[in-house]
Amino acid sequence: MPAAVETEELTKRYPKVEALRGVSLRIEQGEIFALLGPNGAGKTTWISIVCGLTRASSGHARVLEHDVARAPLDARRQLGLVPQEINFDPFFTPREVLRFQLGYYGLPPDEARIDEVLFALTLADKADVNARELSGGMKRRLLIAKALVHRPRVVFLDEPTAGVDVTLRRELWAYVRTLRAGGTTIVLTTHYLEEAEELADRVAVIDHGRLISLDRPSALLASHGRRQVLFTLGAPIDRALPEKLAALGVTVDASGTQLTCPLRASDLSTVLAEVAALPAPIVDMRTEQPSLEQVFLTLTGGRA
Amino acid sequence: MNPIGRRTLLKKEIHRFLRVPGQTLAQPVVTTSLYFLVFGFALGGSVREIDGVSYIRFIVPGLIMLAIIQNAFLNTSSSMFMMKVQGTVVDLLVAPLGTADLLIAFITAAVCRGLLVGSIVWLVAAVFTGFSIAHLGWVLVFATLVGITFGLFGLALAIWSDKFEQLNLIPTFVITPLTFLGGVFYSVSMLPKPWSTLTLANPILYMVEGLRYGLLGTAGSPPLVGLIVTGGFAIAAFALTWWMLATGYKLRS
Ligand SMILES: Nc1ncnc2c1ncn2[C@@H]1O[C@H](COP(=O)(O)OP(=O)(O)OP(=O)(O)O)[C@@H](O)[C@H]1O
Ligand SMILES: [Mg+2]
Repeated sequence: MPAAVETEELTKRYPKVEALRGVSLRIEQGEIFALLGPNGAGKTTWISIVCGLTRASSGHARVLEHDVARAPLDARRQLGLVPQEINFDPFFTPREVLRFQLGYYGLPPDEARIDEVLFALTLADKADVNARELSGGMKRRLLIAKALVHRPRVVFLDEPTAGVDVTLRRELWAYVRTLRAGGTTIVLTTHYLEEAEELADRVAVIDHGRLISLDRPSALLASHGRRQVLFTLGAPIDRALPEKLAALGVTVDASGTQLTCPLRASDLSTVLAEVAALPAPIVDMRTEQPSLEQVFLTLTGGRA
Repeated sequence: MNPIGRRTLLKKEIHRFLRVPGQTLAQPVVTTSLYFLVFGFALGGSVREIDGVSYIRFIVPGLIMLAIIQNAFLNTSSSMFMMKVQGTVVDLLVAPLGTADLLIAFITAAVCRGLLVGSIVWLVAAVFTGFSIAHLGWVLVFATLVGITFGLFGLALAIWSDKFEQLNLIPTFVITPLTFLGGVFYSVSMLPKPWSTLTLANPILYMVEGLRYGLLGTAGSPPLVGLIVTGGFAIAAFALTWWMLATGYKLRS
């Protein structure tokens, strides 16, 4: 089966920055693929090149085997894009905008399809108001509707849930899964790592224009995630940690009241006994499960 | 080629100017009617006739040309510039619309608006000067060709402009002066020597004279010369905008 999206050694140089420094990625059909990375990492640049909005400095990009530089129209026919920046035309209503969108993709008018998409994005009651009167989250949902109405085979969602409320975000996740069940490939970027963990089959982390990690979320968690226990003490400990605790990898912060202890399955009782034996009382204790957020911070050196 | 896409964009562009008729249709009609009153009736008394035509009839083709130029130009330039500012131009850039699709849709809409406003101006004027047209064919040729040319220039200017000031630069400092000096209100033969020769270098003169020939049957320059000049400009404008859209100049970074 041909890849949904494939890039080879994609680079993009702007006069002042190198936004992409050779990114090769292969996204399979029917995947939900998350692209993560700190601000300025190059995520939007990568998507823009694949969607034909930006030209690569070198390298190749293909959408379902259509080269975006050599057969741009064939490539673009396959895709839908939710751009990161909200845009809207104050002249038209959501319904009109979706009609135009169908037309741009060479499709005949289809009111049933438009209603279906408006309903799926909870915009049905705003279908005929001027786009100017939509709230920020509604405008973003209209962007999503626009990217989906022509049933593209590959959908790019550049921060689709920024500014969308919690309930709708969950509904949107469910809708993304429905789309995937119907065979659509989804590529999304997000700064909500929970979103990637929840949705994505595979996650790529980009930093400074380079791919630094690519795997299934569970594999990333297994290789980079840590379970740890955090203790807060009622008084600072003013001397060095007992040897036994230090051997377990426990660290203490500058204030002397926060202990962080990496956890392997077997040694919880030892840790508890040793910490309890400290002169200062334990006032709080919590365990931290491995999360994509932790992995992300480790991989990118702490910049979220 | 994407005929449905092209037709959709055309429809959208036409909707856009029809939705604010006060601004796009009524305003130019009021302006040209005022010119007509001030120059035709109030001041026209001192100039009875030019080349055997009453002054009031003489200025009608110029006023129509003024309306076509301004409206065709404004339609593409404001639409494209607004799309760039709003970010909605992305919708067109990621859609499977080719260079020809985009050009045909934008320019047809510009020509429609130019011809629509031009016709309204003609109707207003005809009430005072009569409904006869000498050569309808030439009228249509010049009106359409000028609409295409200025629609293309408007599109090119909007693609090039990063700021609103830049968008206003060409209309204010080039197009408006050239139109007013292009024989709308006077005949070149009325100017003293250096000025009459200079005016002959103004391309808009030939467009106005071409339309004048079509409407009145007489003009200061033969229609064929006008056709060559206008056609040349149309081709230049076409080449420029085609190149811009095909290469993604300022649109695809
Ligand atoms: N049009 C442009 N001209 C010049 N530099 C640009 C342009 N677009 C992006 N850049 C630069 O390229 C780099 C990558 O930007 P990009 O938008 O791809 O980041 P991103 O990963 O999408 O970040 P964010 O999470 O903030 O959206 C940044 O350093 C940015 O400043
Ligand atoms: Mg981005």
